[in-house]
Amino acid sequence: MKGEVKVLSGVMMGDSLFDERNWAIGLSYNPDVIVAQGTSSDTGPAYLAAGTLYGGSLGIKRGLRAILLSAKERGIPFIISTGPPAGGNQQLEKVLGWVDELAKEAKVELRIAVIPGELDKEYLKGKIRSGSRIRRLVNIERFPEYLSEEDIDHSEHIVAQMGPEPIMKALDLDVDGVITGRALDIALHMAVPLRAGFNKGLAAHMAKTIECASLVTVPETSDAVLAILRKDHFLVLPTNPDSRCTPVSVAAHAFYERPDPNRELNPGGALDLSAAKYEPYDHRTVKVSGSRWIPAPYTIKVEGARKVGFRTISVLGIRDERMIGEIDGCLEQARKHVEAHLQPLQPMKDYTLLFRVYGKNGVLGEAEPVKQTKSHELGLIVEAIAPQEEVSENVCELAGRKLLHMDYPGRIATAANVAHPYSPTANKLGPVYSWSIWHLLELEDPCEPFHIEVRRFG
Amino acid sequence: MNTIDIFFDADEAYRRVRDSRILSKDLVARLYDISPEEVLGIFFVDEARGIKITVPKPDRVASGDPDCRDIYGALYYIPLLDIDIP
Repeated sequence: MKGEVKVLSGVMMGDSLFDERNWAIGLSYNPDVIVAQGTSSDTGPAYLAAGTLYGGSLGIKRGLRAILLSAKERGIPFIISTGPPAGGNQQLEKVLGWVDELAKEAKVELRIAVIPGELDKEYLKGKIRSGSRIRRLVNIERFPEYLSEEDIDHSEHIVAQMGPEPIMKALDLDVDGVITGRALDIALHMAVPLRAGFNKGLAAHMAKTIECASLVTVPETSDAVLAILRKDHFLVLPTNPDSRCTPVSVAAHAFYERPDPNRELNPGGALDLSAAKYEPYDHRTVKVSGSRWIPAPYTIKVEGARKVGFRTISVLGIRDERMIGEIDGCLEQARKHVEAHLQPLQPMKDYTLLFRVYGKNGVLGEAEPVKQTKSHELGLIVEAIAPQEEVSENVCELAGRKLLHMDYPGRIATAANVAHPYSPTANKLGPVYSWSIWHLLELEDPCEPFHIEVRRFG
Repeated sequence: MNTIDIFFDADEAYRRVRDSRILSKDLVARLYDISPEEVLGIFFVDEARGIKITVPKPDRVASGDPDCRDIYGALYYIPLLDIDIP
């Protein structure tokens, strides 16, 4: 086993900027692998369900160019997750198209192991049929406690966060690098260290520390960071010469994107940081030790999204202080007006009407501590969701028209009550999606659901 | 769920909040209109000069559900700003 492994970590989201000088500084450390994560569920279910790309192509192309070409030139393997944000197959293929374009442009040939993150519905249904109990990860009642075949059929797309094992397997295939769809972020950074036999707790903590690149530095930049993993500790430092890592900035990053700062469940175990030690190594490098891995059954997180209807919205502004004072009553009147119209029409009854009142409690809802608004104007989004688009249009139009012309105590307007910034006043926003699967799948073989394809680009 | 991370620039400020013992499950539950048992955790980490509070999303919706107000949970810290530290 080598004495140390060096991981250079960037981020591959659409807004990532790669400063070329700092990227070159990162490369000058001769990293053993270049890693960048680029998938996420943060932006909600619509992206996975509809296969939409997030964040624009500019930053991704810039990141791909920097990583792939410098890795190829120096013979350093790269590991990237992409297909932003959801990491579904459509999104992944789009990015792979860009990889091919840039390889052709640079006249290089890249041999890449591609591991899609999308799960085959038949595979997942087969798991249920053969006795797998796929349990929900969060305690939200509308998610089924255990996944059914019907839940799978109703989902548009299903992805899973692969662990490090499929990536480790792909690295054995004599490739320039690995590109995955949806993956567990830290799996990407852990793959090379685990393959080289390093301690799993330290590898996971190192991965966790550098997964968002310079989010762990002060000040934060969009540059890569470097980690050096050794037998009983790891070091982390920025590539940007004007940034530092401090024991506090590194310890603080352990809070990020997890419910408990000391313990996080991962595929095959929990990362336990309760005994982790953070020490200054030099003025901009931090030494970390004491991270532990507590083995547990091997599970991966499965994510799915389904269509729940269509959305129509109307955006309007309210400026009359008398209407602002009476806003709850006005909204109730509009709601009753919609009900009166739709009640006799049985098939049209199934709808959701929402009023988002910005300036009152549009952001926090019932948790808003300011109960009496002091705003001199309100922004209102009238939103209607229904299984049929025609119903959502009708509900939105009816509620909006009523607000435009209704009477309320103290009203002095004789015509319209609200300001509409847009024509048309009601706007169809298309399909609405919800997370349908947020579950844990237990696996005997961590690689079982994932297929590795070696592909040539350029 | 939502998780809220509070970091401090100075040890003194962090210790003052930590040692005031005011950040209890009861207080957090009151601020977010949930029961104290629903507060998933309040963690103090001295090395990070940080406090983490994890609570369910309001109305138990999932991110991006039709009645979700804040997909990232970005502004869910706001009710904490009204806490007076003795």
